[in-house]
Amino acid sequence: MSMNGDESEDKACHFLKQEGYRIVARNWRTQSGEVDIIARDKDVLVFVEVKARTGAGFGGPEAAVDDAKQRRLISAALAFLEKTQCDLPTRFDVVTIRPNEVHLYQDAFHVPD
Amino acid sequence: MFARLLSGVVLGVEARLIEIQCDVSGGLPTFNIVGLPEKEVSESRERIRSAIKNSKFNFPAGRITANLAPADLKKEGVGFDLPIAVAILKATGQIAETQKRYLLLGELALNGEVRGVRGVLPIALETADQIDGLIVPRANALEAAIAADKPVYPVETLAEAQRFLNHEIEIPPVFIDRETLKSTEQKAVRHNLTEVRGQLQAKRALEIAAAGGHNLLMIGPPGSGKSLLARCLPDLLPPLSFEEALEVTRIYSTAGLLEAGAPLVWQRPYRAPHHTISYAGMVGGGHGIPGPGEISLAHHGVLFLDELPEFDRRVLETLRQPLEDRSILISRAGISVRYPSAFTLVAAMNPCPCGFLGDPIQPCTCSLHDVRRYKKRLSGPFLDRMDLCVEVPRVSADDLFGSCVAEASELVLKRVSVAREVQWERMQGVADCHCNAQLDGKRLDTHCVLGDDAKQLLRRAVDRFGLSARAHARIRRVARTIADLENLPEIRAQHIAEAVQLRTTGDAVPDF
Repeated sequence: MSMNGDESEDKACHFLKQEGYRIVARNWRTQSGEVDIIARDKDVLVFVEVKARTGAGFGGPEAAVDDAKQRRLISAALAFLEKTQCDLPTRFDVVTIRPNEVHLYQDAFHVPD
Repeated sequence: MFARLLSGVVLGVEARLIEIQCDVSGGLPTFNIVGLPEKEVSESRERIRSAIKNSKFNFPAGRITANLAPADLKKEGVGFDLPIAVAILKATGQIAETQKRYLLLGELALNGEVRGVRGVLPIALETADQIDGLIVPRANALEAAIAADKPVYPVETLAEAQRFLNHEIEIPPVFIDRETLKSTEQKAVRHNLTEVRGQLQAKRALEIAAAGGHNLLMIGPPGSGKSLLARCLPDLLPPLSFEEALEVTRIYSTAGLLEAGAPLVWQRPYRAPHHTISYAGMVGGGHGIPGPGEISLAHHGVLFLDELPEFDRRVLETLRQPLEDRSILISRAGISVRYPSAFTLVAAMNPCPCGFLGDPIQPCTCSLHDVRRYKKRLSGPFLDRMDLCVEVPRVSADDLFGSCVAEASELVLKRVSVAREVQWERMQGVADCHCNAQLDGKRLDTHCVLGDDAKQLLRRAVDRFGLSARAHARIRRVARTIADLENLPEIRAQHIAEAVQLRTTGDAVPDF
């Protein structure tokens, strides 16, 4: 069975709520990119990228968050912080979804120099 | 969320206290280190991040800025890993604030282990009066304890440091007894004069070099024992005093050459760099903060240059100034460091490219032109700094198979020690001058008083050999040392005679 984007994001939201996250926004878009889920994990604002893969080909979902994707996420996150005037500490998480496994990578990457 | 603590940085053999400030605030997750960090300091971010996470601490989200103050001083080395990690833990409340002014140093492994770093001794020496204690890697604990009269707490992991600072565990401070340190020191295999067959004149020259700190040039065919003789010299010198040992150890600590378990260098250094050595390798240099070169690693010891003419001429010329000043100032953009370099220079060379010029058995195959060119590689000013010049001829069969036992180094050392003491007493109150080799100009006249017959002989020698003023000064210096070896206050004719003989011997010696 294959999932489309919305289904996998629903699944990810459900999973994050179980982990104690509070969902702030979904599919937050700017010109430079999109953040799948924005959530609060206690005092930290978390930008979550959801990656789903049905097969094991192409190195799995983890491999899909490459440098270019990270850059797009970072600039979208920056736009969100500017727009909301939020000064919470922030973090980037990645949720990977396989047919029978959901995995959360906390603090998956940082803003490079 | 702000925290500060102390660390240190070495600049040559000096050190400076560094304040590490850390701020954790909201915003995108970034981790920056500012305050002129060199590359290895910037790279420490990855080690710190992994070490904190793998020690089961919380690496904070958001924006982390670590500042190394003073911000205008270049920071080098991996010793900031541990203090920055602790500062982050402090800023996030994982380590409690303390009133104690601890200085922290240490490299972090990715799993949170604390690894040893360079330069702990100079840092401990120079910052001890501004701090309440040191937290250092276990590998460096003894080194720090020698230098500081403040408690030294060794740590093996980041978690251990955290628990100690939170008063969850006690760490007994490391204490070191200087006397036991001296007795437990491992003696490296050195050579004794008894191993050298024959070569009485060279041995005598070695004794004089040891007694007066004179530089020595040995000229002879291959296999005559030049290298072995040079290797004997460190043990002909009196043992290092504690202060001297500390000076030498500072240099070795900065260079990262201290051996584990031997935190203090008690033995006279012996350095014998290969003739392909670069200019930076000889006098010091390298990227970032210049490191010590061979001349500084030979401080208070012996620098042996085998195959002298094979060395790059520019490298040899750079030795001239440190030989005079007994220290070297290395200046680079934004930083200059001074390293001490009070060494005795021993050089060896063949008389010609094939090595057999003047040999009674093997004929020399070099053309006159070859020989001239070979000798020309050494400049006059450089050779001027060699007080003693001695021929080391082929060892005769009689010497090789003879039963005559050579004098042991220990006996020679006794005479040398007496001579050194005599010099020390005579030069009390003379600035920067501890041995006869340093006598020049006015000091030569006050300290090298000649007897009447000695004066006459020297006069004749100057006339006969056409000696320059500089050569004349060298002979007086060496004669002074020979007289000191006999503990005589006045230089006599026989001392002058020997000194003249030890300056030039036969045709094999370059003309200077």
